[in-house]
Amino acid sequence: MREYDTVVIGGGPAGLAAALSARENGAKTLLIEREARLGGILKQCIHDGFGLVRFQEKLTGPEYAQRFIDQVERGEIDTSTLTFVTRLERTQAGFAVTVVNRAGVETILTRTLVLATGCRERTAKQVSIHGTRPAGVFTAGTAQHFTNLLGQLPTKRCVILGSGDIGLIMARRLTLEGAKVLGVYEVKPTPSGLTRNIHQCLRDYDIPLHLSHTVTRVLGEDRLTAVEVAQVDERMRPIPGTEEIVECDGLILSVGLIPENELAQSLGVELDPKTKGPVCNGQLMTSVDGVFSCGNALHVNDLVDYVSESGELAGHAAACYAPAPRREVALRASPALLYAVPQRLDLNRDNSKTTLYFRSREVLDRCVLRLRVDGREVFSKRYPFLRPPEMERLDMDFSQFELSEHSKIELDIEVTGHE
Amino acid sequence: MDLRKTNKKLAKRFGGAVRAALSDGCVVLTGQLPTWAEVVEACQLAATKYGNLHVVNDIVCDEAAPQKMRLPSLRDSALEGRRPDVLIIGGGISGASIARELSKWKLDILLVEKEADLALQASGRNDGEVHPGVDLSKGSLKHHYIRKGNAMYDQVCRELDVPFHRVGQYVCFDKGWLKPFIALYCLWRRTHDGIEDTRVISGAELKRREPNLNQDFKFAVSNPSSGCVCPYGLTIAYGENAVQNGAQVWLNTAVLSMEVKDGEIKSVHTNRGTIYPTLVINAAGVFAEDVARMAGDRFFSIHPRRGTNSILDQKAGARFSSIASIMELARSRGHSKGGGILHTAHGNLLVGPDAVETFEKENTATRPQSIDTVFAKQEKTMPTLSKGDIITYFTGVRAPTFEEDFIIEKGRKTHNIIHCAGIQSPGLTTAPAVALDVEKMAVEELRKKKSVAPNEGYSPIRRGVPVLRELPDEERAELIRKNPDYGVIVCRCEEVSRGEILDALRAPICVPTVDGVKKRVRPGMGRCQGGFCSPLVAKIIAEFLNVPLDEVKKSAPEANITFGRTK
Amino acid sequence: MSELVCIVCPRGCTLRVEEEGETLQVTGNGCKRGADFARSELTAPMRTLCTTVRTAFPDVPVLPVRLSAEIPKGQIFPVMEAINAVTVDQPVDMGGVILNNVLGLGVDLVAASGLLRPADG
Repeated sequence: MREYDTVVIGGGPAGLAAALSARENGAKTLLIEREARLGGILKQCIHDGFGLVRFQEKLTGPEYAQRFIDQVERGEIDTSTLTFVTRLERTQAGFAVTVVNRAGVETILTRTLVLATGCRERTAKQVSIHGTRPAGVFTAGTAQHFTNLLGQLPTKRCVILGSGDIGLIMARRLTLEGAKVLGVYEVKPTPSGLTRNIHQCLRDYDIPLHLSHTVTRVLGEDRLTAVEVAQVDERMRPIPGTEEIVECDGLILSVGLIPENELAQSLGVELDPKTKGPVCNGQLMTSVDGVFSCGNALHVNDLVDYVSESGELAGHAAACYAPAPRREVALRASPALLYAVPQRLDLNRDNSKTTLYFRSREVLDRCVLRLRVDGREVFSKRYPFLRPPEMERLDMDFSQFELSEHSKIELDIEVTGHE
Repeated sequence: MDLRKTNKKLAKRFGGAVRAALSDGCVVLTGQLPTWAEVVEACQLAATKYGNLHVVNDIVCDEAAPQKMRLPSLRDSALEGRRPDVLIIGGGISGASIARELSKWKLDILLVEKEADLALQASGRNDGEVHPGVDLSKGSLKHHYIRKGNAMYDQVCRELDVPFHRVGQYVCFDKGWLKPFIALYCLWRRTHDGIEDTRVISGAELKRREPNLNQDFKFAVSNPSSGCVCPYGLTIAYGENAVQNGAQVWLNTAVLSMEVKDGEIKSVHTNRGTIYPTLVINAAGVFAEDVARMAGDRFFSIHPRRGTNSILDQKAGARFSSIASIMELARSRGHSKGGGILHTAHGNLLVGPDAVETFEKENTATRPQSIDTVFAKQEKTMPTLSKGDIITYFTGVRAPTFEEDFIIEKGRKTHNIIHCAGIQSPGLTTAPAVALDVEKMAVEELRKKKSVAPNEGYSPIRRGVPVLRELPDEERAELIRKNPDYGVIVCRCEEVSRGEILDALRAPICVPTVDGVKKRVRPGMGRCQGGFCSPLVAKIIAEFLNVPLDEVKKSAPEANITFGRTK
Repeated sequence: MSELVCIVCPRGCTLRVEEEGETLQVTGNGCKRGADFARSELTAPMRTLCTTVRTAFPDVPVLPVRLSAEIPKGQIFPVMEAINAVTVDQPVDMGGVILNNVLGLGVDLVAASGLLRPADG
C-alpha cells in the first residue's frame, strides 16, 4: 500500500500550488487529478489577465497553469491523472484515500489531506428557470469547454444570464467567434463580475447589460428558440407585466459558483454556510485534524493568484502538520461583510502572518475596515471603495493582540463618506 | 346510467351549452364551452364509475384549439411494406412491457415510438412509486391489477436487472382523534379490498423509522409493499429484453393514419412507410384516443393532466429513506394525492407531483407555481425539506379517461386492435400484470388467423450495464482489469465511467444522444446537471458513431448541441 | 471631463480625465499604468487578443493562442479573420510563433498552451 505524508486532491491551480509547497516543505506528496491533464479549469480559460499579482504579467490560463505544471513535473511529486477519488476514510495515523483509474482500484494512506476540489457552476434549475428542456442551455463553463477545448460553436445567437466573470468573458469570446450576444441580464442591481470585465468584454463589443433583469422561462422543444426575460423588484422577484420574449438559440448561465465539498463532507468537515467551503483556521486546516482546504473549494475566488496563494498556505501547513490540541477562537465577520476567511484562529499555532480574505456585502465607497477585539478597535484600514465581486486580501499579525479562546474578534466595515 | 338525469345536471350547470347522447355504446358530449376546465367538469359530470360505458368528448372548446401531435422530422421508407404480426404503438411502460411478454411467442413484433427514446413522456416523467393500492376500490381495473402488478415487481426487476426497493409508504396524520376511524378504514381495505399489508402505526413508531418527518405526526398508515423503481430504467429494460428476444423497436416513428375496412385495420401509415400489421396494440398514452379514432374505434376520451416533480440532491436523500405524505382533510378536489416525498431508486429525494388539468397533451414545460404548491404541502410532511436542494424538475402529462380507470380490451368496432388506454397512476405498478393479460388477448386474437408457437429462444433475463460505483472494490477492480475504460470516471457527480457509457451505447436499444446515455447510465443526473460531463459524453458518442461532434444531439434529431467548428 | 474604468488590472479603478490644453490630466488612478491607460484609451485604444487556432491534430482540434502585444481596438475582427485562416499542422511549444507580423501590425501570433509541445521538448 502506498503511503504519503500529504495527498492533494485536485490538480487545478490550488492543488498544483499546494503540492509544490508541501513537497518544498519536506512532505512526500501525491497529487491526484481526475482529468487527463493538470491545470483544472485554467485549461479552458484562454483569456489573459492571470498572474498580475503573482508574476506581474498578464498570462492566459494555460500559460499560468503551465508554470506550475512544469515545476510539478520537475519536482519530486508523484502525480496520478485520470484518477478519481471514490472514498475517504479516517485511519489511526491519518486517512485512507481510495481511487479508481485505468489500473484498477487502489487505497493510498496519507498523514494529511489537502482538498483542492474547486467549485461547480450553479445550473438553470437552481436559479428557478422554468419552461421546456431544450438543447442550447449551457452554463458558461460548459459553453467555454465546447468553444475553447473542443473548438465547437455552442450558439449563434444567445442571451447571457448573470454578470459573473465567466459569463462576461464568454460574451466576448462568443462574439469573437462570430456569435451574436444579444445581452447580459443580471438579477442584481449591480454587476457580479469585475468592473474591468464589464468594460473590456461588454462595452468594447456593444453588448448591453440589463441590471435588475432575469430570465424566467426557456422556450423551444428540441433546440432553444427563445427566452422570456423580465424585470425584477428589489427582492429580485420578476415583476408581472414586464416579461419580454427574446428570440435566441442559446442561453448561457453565469449565475454563481458553488465550492465542491462532497468529499470534505464525507469526512465530517464543518462547512460555513456563507462561503459554502470548510470552516478553517489560519493554517487553512478544517474542523477535521489533518485535513486542509484551499482555492475555490475553500471559498470562490475571483483571482487565480489568490487561489495559488491559499494552495501554498495549505500545502505548507499540511507538510508541517503535527497533531496538537487546538485552542481556537472564532473570527467573526459582521453583517457588512459577505464573509471572511479564515473563520477561526488556533492560538496554539503561529498567527503572526495570517492572510485574511474578505468581501463586502454591498458596493461601498470610502469605507474603513475595522478589527475589534472584545469591542476595542485594534486595527483599521481605509478603502476608497469595496465591491462584493472584488475580494480583498490582507496580511495580519494576530499574535500582537493577546488573544484567548474567550476573545471576541470581529471584522466590520463602516462607511465614512467624504471627509 | 340515466341519460335524462345527466342532461338535467348538464343543463343546470351549463344552461344548454352541452348535451349528452348515447351513441354506439358511448356517452357522447357535444356543444360548446369557453374554457377547458368547464369541458372537463361537464365530462366528469357525465362519467360513471366502473362500467363499460365511456364518455366521449366532442365539446368544442373556445380556449383549446385542436392540438396537432408533434411529429419527428425524419421521413424515410425504412418500414414500407412491413407485415408484422403485432404492431405496438407507443414505447412507454405499457408498450415496452407488452412487447416483452409477447416476445415469448414466435411472432414478428414491431414497436413504434414517435419520440427519440422509450419512456420519454408519462413513463419517464413520473415519481417511480410502486403503489400499494390502498386508495383503490374494488370494481375498477386499477384495483384488479394493482396487487398482482405490485407482487410481480421483485421478480420482474430481478429478471430485468433494474433497481427496485420496497421502501414502504406512510400516509401521515397530525390529528390524533382520527386514529380510530383510520384504523377501521384500514381494516376495511384489508378485508374488503385485499390490501393485506395496510396497517396503522403509532407516531412513535413512525419517528423511529423516519426521524426527519414532522414531529407532530400522531400516527400513520403504513403500506410496506410500496416501493420505488426507476420508471424509465424499467421501461428501457423491458424494451431491451423484448429486442433480445426478437422484437423490433423503432424510435422516431409516428403513426399518422390508418386504413380501416370492414372492421379491420388494413394498413398503418407512418413517417417511415406503410405497415400492414395483423394486430395493432394501442399503447399510445395521451394519444390513445387519437389512435382509437384512426382505427375507427373511438369509444373513450382522454383528458390530459399535468404533474410536476422536483428532484433533490442525494444529500437530501440521505435524510429520508421511504415514501411519505401528510394527509390533509381540507383538500381541494382533484385526482392526485397532491404528491409526496419519495426516496428514489438512485438515492435522491423526489417531491411531487401536483395535478393540473390541461388540454395540451405535449406541453411539458414546468412552471414555478407547481413547485411552490407541492413544497407548501410537503414542507408539512418533512419540515427540513428545502428548495435549495433542488437539482432539477420535470413535468409529465397523465392520460386519464373521464371514468378515471384503465381501458384494457379488444376493439369494439374494429377487431384487430387491443386498447391499453387511460393508463395513469398506478399504471407503472400495474404494467407487469396488464402486459400478461394483453399478451393473452393478443395471442388469442392472432390464433384466429395463424398458429402461434412459443419462442424457443426466449429468455426473460436481461443484464443491465454494471453500476461500478455500487460494487465492492475487488469486483470493481476485476471489471477494470478486463476493461480499463471502467476506471475512467467521466461524470463526477454520479461517478459514471467511460466504460459504462460505451456499454450503454452497445446495448440492444442504442440511443446515441446525450439524453439517451444519461437515462441509461446517469452521467449528468447529478448536482452539476451535466455541466462538467456533457461535452465529454458528447465526445464519446461522436467517437463511437465516428461522426463530427456537432452531429451528436441532446435528444431528438433537431436538438443540436453545437453548430459545428468555430474555425 | 470624461470618466473611464481602468482595465489594466483587476482593481478596476475609475479614472477621471481632464483636458488641460495639450495634456490630459488623470486622477483616480491607483498607479502609473492607469494614467498611461487613460491617455492611450482616449487617443488610440489598444487591446490584447486571445483566441484559438485550428489544428490538424484530431485530439487537439483548437490550440489557445495570443498576440505578442496589443493592437488597435479596431483591428480585432480583421485579425480574428486572419487567425481563422490558419491551421497548425506541426508541433509547437508554448510561446512558439505561429504567424509573424499579423496583418503588418508588428505583432506575432504565439501559442499560449503546451498542448502541442514537440515530443522531445
